[in-house]
Amino acid sequence: MNAEKILEVRGLKKYFEVGRPSLFSRKKESVHAVDDVDLTLRRSEVIALVGESGCGKSTLALLLMGLEDPTDGTILFENGDITHLNDSQRKPLRRKIQMVFQDPYESLNPTQTIEEIVTEPLKVHGLGDAADRAERVRKAMEDAGLKPAGVYLKRYPHELSGGQRQRVVIASALVLEPEVIVADEPVSMLDVSIRAEVINLLADLRVTRQIAVIFITHDLGSVGFFADRVAVMYLGRIVEIGTMLEVLEQPRHPYTKALLSVIPVPNPRLRHERIILQGETPNPINLPSGCRFHPRCPVAVEKCKVDDPALFDLSSSHRAACLLIK
Amino acid sequence: MPDSGIALLSFREDILLNRFQNLIRRIGWAVLTIAFVIVLNFFLFRILPGDPARAGVHDPRLKKDAVEAIRVRFGLDKPVINCFDSLNPVKFGNCGVNPLETQFFIYVRNLFIGEMGFSYHTNRPVTEILAERLWNTVLLIGAGQILSVIIGVVFGIAAAWKARTNIDYGALTVSLLVWSLPTFWLGIILLFWGSANGFPIGGKATPGMSSMPLSVRWGDIAEHMILPTITYTLVYMGEYMLIMRSSLLDVLSEDYILTAKAKGLSTFQILRDHALKNAMLPLVTVIAINLGFTVAGAIQIESVFSWPGLGLSIFEAVNRRDFPVLQGAFLLIAVAVIAANLIADLTYTYLDPRVKME
Amino acid sequence: MTELALKKNAPPASSYLLDFWRKLQKNRMGLVGLGMLLSITLAAVFAPVISPYEPSSTADVGAGDIYQPPSAEHLFGTDDAGTDIFTNFIYGSRVSLTVGFFAAFISIVVGGVLGIVAGFFGGRWENFIMRFTDIMLVIPDLPLIVVVVALTKPSLLNIIFVIGLLGWTTTARVVRSQTLAVKSRKFVLRARAIGAGRGHIIWRHVLPLVMPILVVQAVLVVSLAVLNESTLAFLGLSDPTTVSWGQMLNYAFGRGAMSTGAWWALVAPGFGIVWVVLGLTLLGQGLEQVLNPRLDTHHLMPGRPNVGKEAEVQSGATKPVLEVRNLSIDYVSQGKAPAHAIENVSFSLKEGELLGLVGESGCGKTTLMLGLLRLLPQAGQIVNGSVFFGGKNLTMLTEEEMNAVRWSGISIIFQGAMNALNPVRTVGDQIGEAIIKHMPGYPKEKIQGRITELLDLVGIAASHKDSFPHQYSGGMRQRAMIAMALACNPSVVVADEPTTALDVMVQAQILELLAELRRKLGLAVIFVTHDLGVVAEMCDRVLVMYGGVTAEYADVDTVYNDPRHPYTQELLKAFPDLTKPKKKLSSIPGYPPRLDALPPGCRFAPRCPAVFERCRTEQPAIHAIPGGAEHVASCHLVEGVK
Repeated sequence: MNAEKILEVRGLKKYFEVGRPSLFSRKKESVHAVDDVDLTLRRSEVIALVGESGCGKSTLALLLMGLEDPTDGTILFENGDITHLNDSQRKPLRRKIQMVFQDPYESLNPTQTIEEIVTEPLKVHGLGDAADRAERVRKAMEDAGLKPAGVYLKRYPHELSGGQRQRVVIASALVLEPEVIVADEPVSMLDVSIRAEVINLLADLRVTRQIAVIFITHDLGSVGFFADRVAVMYLGRIVEIGTMLEVLEQPRHPYTKALLSVIPVPNPRLRHERIILQGETPNPINLPSGCRFHPRCPVAVEKCKVDDPALFDLSSSHRAACLLIK
Repeated sequence: MPDSGIALLSFREDILLNRFQNLIRRIGWAVLTIAFVIVLNFFLFRILPGDPARAGVHDPRLKKDAVEAIRVRFGLDKPVINCFDSLNPVKFGNCGVNPLETQFFIYVRNLFIGEMGFSYHTNRPVTEILAERLWNTVLLIGAGQILSVIIGVVFGIAAAWKARTNIDYGALTVSLLVWSLPTFWLGIILLFWGSANGFPIGGKATPGMSSMPLSVRWGDIAEHMILPTITYTLVYMGEYMLIMRSSLLDVLSEDYILTAKAKGLSTFQILRDHALKNAMLPLVTVIAINLGFTVAGAIQIESVFSWPGLGLSIFEAVNRRDFPVLQGAFLLIAVAVIAANLIADLTYTYLDPRVKME
Repeated sequence: MTELALKKNAPPASSYLLDFWRKLQKNRMGLVGLGMLLSITLAAVFAPVISPYEPSSTADVGAGDIYQPPSAEHLFGTDDAGTDIFTNFIYGSRVSLTVGFFAAFISIVVGGVLGIVAGFFGGRWENFIMRFTDIMLVIPDLPLIVVVVALTKPSLLNIIFVIGLLGWTTTARVVRSQTLAVKSRKFVLRARAIGAGRGHIIWRHVLPLVMPILVVQAVLVVSLAVLNESTLAFLGLSDPTTVSWGQMLNYAFGRGAMSTGAWWALVAPGFGIVWVVLGLTLLGQGLEQVLNPRLDTHHLMPGRPNVGKEAEVQSGATKPVLEVRNLSIDYVSQGKAPAHAIENVSFSLKEGELLGLVGESGCGKTTLMLGLLRLLPQAGQIVNGSVFFGGKNLTMLTEEEMNAVRWSGISIIFQGAMNALNPVRTVGDQIGEAIIKHMPGYPKEKIQGRITELLDLVGIAASHKDSFPHQYSGGMRQRAMIAMALACNPSVVVADEPTTALDVMVQAQILELLAELRRKLGLAVIFVTHDLGVVAEMCDRVLVMYGGVTAEYADVDTVYNDPRHPYTQELLKAFPDLTKPKKKLSSIPGYPPRLDALPPGCRFAPRCPAVFERCRTEQPAIHAIPGGAEHVASCHLVEGVK
């Protein structure tokens, strides 16, 4: 895919300071939530960002949205530096990058009607007159699968089902006609039979509206047909990135391999050996030396404890950070 | 299978350290609060009309040299504090005076040696008056608090356990009703009823008792305590009942109660082993916060029953415009409440394993 | 179709405030309180009309008029000055209400602003405001109010300001914590992502959600202000130019009402205060109930008796460990038709078998499991069927007999072990408890050893035995829960979504552990989950549930490779399959049915791609499907299939 770059991230870092200095300890510690991430998103591309809790994928989303301030690194949008903008500088940009959250119930204000929720972005940006707004709201809602829009306008979030609520969230993102949508676990709270609907909706939007999507999920199994590329994160870093087929069918990083192996296959005839990593993701305050993955890595060797691997080019699109790849 | 406890830090030491840190921090805050109260107490009486010492000076009954003696004694000839000779009316002064030579410093120094001035009314040292009254208040609040907590907790448990039955509705009605009663009015009504039914009509002891043997005197005091204690208990048990009820209801709908039930434990075992401690925890905080309000109750009850405690001192001081006593009583009550709060806070930290640091 | 369902199920659209008001109208406590307040407010407003005399008027009062008992001329009698108590009572309400409302207004504004500022902006502001609030909170307020009023002039205005300015502390705390809670919700983040400024967020998103709590708080603060005002007046600190209830009591108490037996002079003003404060308290409780509706039911309430007392006996030569036959469970709530949460579910569990129970949210899988152990919430009632375990029908046992079966015969692993473990008792202690209960003969000194052994079995080091649940990670808590479930050597373990909310890798660890334990100990396990993949990986047999009924029940291979029920077929198509990454997922249109609005015919009919007329009216029976294994499906399409 050689479409134009729309969003680019270089060496992005976000450290959170934890623990204030007290009478007894003065050491300041920091959580390395996002630690040196490079990523490029092209127009109407879908990148799936996969990882377990604490890998930094949600922090990365907040950084892209400008809702957290990065510690280091740059974020470029359509080749302009947007790393450190103040609120008023960022405002026009907000129309271009929108976010969809995990829990559709939590991300809707219970005291607002659906109409108020979907109109709010237009009001905040002072777009259009009343008639124009109503038309845009109707179009966004119908594009999000809430047809006909009129049925839903005067309702409150609690009167809708989980799937409908997530569509409202998507509609309120669409109403600003964004170019990028960052979707943070948009389906993990939904029932299996409804998940596909929302994923398919996002997949359609990239075709109908040329929207690029960053799809954040913990479930490598669900990114399937919908993602162009997949990036796997572990402890604040991208450890493997490639096209969907490269990552899912020829994973090279031991972590990706393990993640893939534990995804249950819905067919009892295909029961397989699983690589189960022991222990839990270490605390991102005290990072392991060398390769961050080595304490849990089933194939780690001595040098993994010392050397921190960089991403290694496996093909023009496929890269993985492991010392054992040669 | 290897140990999966990587995420588990060496928490035992952590907790010990945190508990210690927590203790130091909370004591620090209590000390700071007391300091604030002392400052407040000083300036309140200097800024608002009615400076205790000054009011004394203006007493027309006093002779000139007596006034001068008081002025010197309370340091009224000195500036209130650096830059201000007086705060009401505001009179600016020299900012370069020795801070030790200001009224504020003298006030603080006097506090440390336990001197809080003299009562206008009886001319006795305030410290002496308050010292003998403090214990009476502690006795009354102690008895009332213990009784109201016990009764409130028992009824609260019954109401929550038998939720939505007549036991529950009955307990709820009674507690809402007593909660709404003004303390002093309940006292008056009880006193009205009690005096007609042979109860002592006030005070702490029947006059002329001092010559009697100790057991008789104690019995007499107990008799005088009955009505004030009933008032106190009625007023506060409602609130404890309401809190215990809602707290226990919350606990009883928790998942771990279902676990306990799935384990085959009997209702009694579940209440005893899984519900009560958890439900009591919020109550400890409320009792602590309540201490401030219970003092308010004590002022009213002591005023009605002429129980010679700090509350009665406040009542009398207000009516006699006896400012030194008022100032001293307020300070003593505030310090006592802060100390009691600190104790309750620390108890909570000790009881709940989840509290490490905020 | 979706709109149709919406029109039928959803309540009519309404405004948030209107909704609130409508709920309050149904709350008897709140209405009584509101009525009490309105009546006294009206009395205060129309005092000159109602009162027969001028307030405190001593005109035409003679010496004989002092402390006159109630009469036609003086409804409430007369006081120490011979004036009419009824008149003073009516006029006295003016002071109480004025001070109450204005002082509370000051407190609420100050506390509300400080609370929102501290909660929303955080940082240094929050630190300063909250430290100051903490200090003010421990300083006893009534003594402080008394001191300040005593030092100034006790005029009405002074009293209002002093009570108001010293009564904001609790409001500030409550508002701050609510602001913090609102601020952490995702819709605030979403508003920021849209580009909304702080003012907009506070005004449109924070304030509407803080407001209800502020209203409840305001009611409480008014009642405290009324009480404080009357106490001040009773202590002699009242505006001498106006008559108030506290002042009336002060005069009566201090001027001989007690000794003359003039009870009326004491009762009337006190009654006024109680009326106002009780009204406020009831209103506050009512508002609270509307805002935080609590079911007031809990796990210790006695359950409903089981209906369906057919003295059935278990038949068949090889008896399974557990057999559930035609089990039906209703949820009964007052004034509504019972909801059929579970209808006619049958399955059996052989020794060492792993049964997967799959379904979407609301399909009744958890209800079914709670029903087995008779742990249903109070509204739940077993209305038909039997559960055979160890030769006994569990639905017929008394509570004590049932307690003996629980845990030692059938134990259960709940989802979300954080809440399923008691936070204030150590993990080891909670495991030991089950042993002590069910194995009374177990030597005391060996219990600790057994706990260590169990923890070891699930991969937790013995050194963590005396830790509290919050000191464990999520995966460890779930392991501890498993160790606890194994404590009394049960023959059946129910695992209710044991891995939901855990990370993928931890989830795999727990599943592996369960599989291993099952092999090692020969356990029969019922595995409840919504995850079709996990079932395919682990289970022997599968029960697919939809809307409280059995959709399909067969061995795992049949369910995945020869599903007969359209729901099973559709569900499988919606589930992503890693081995076919390019396959587009299909979804099932519509939403799972709500228990209180079940479709009349087949419960899947509204979403079924193969629906025909009969499905909409007639609920299909459970049909056996011929072919070696035991395979049933409840669908009209499989009826009579050979």
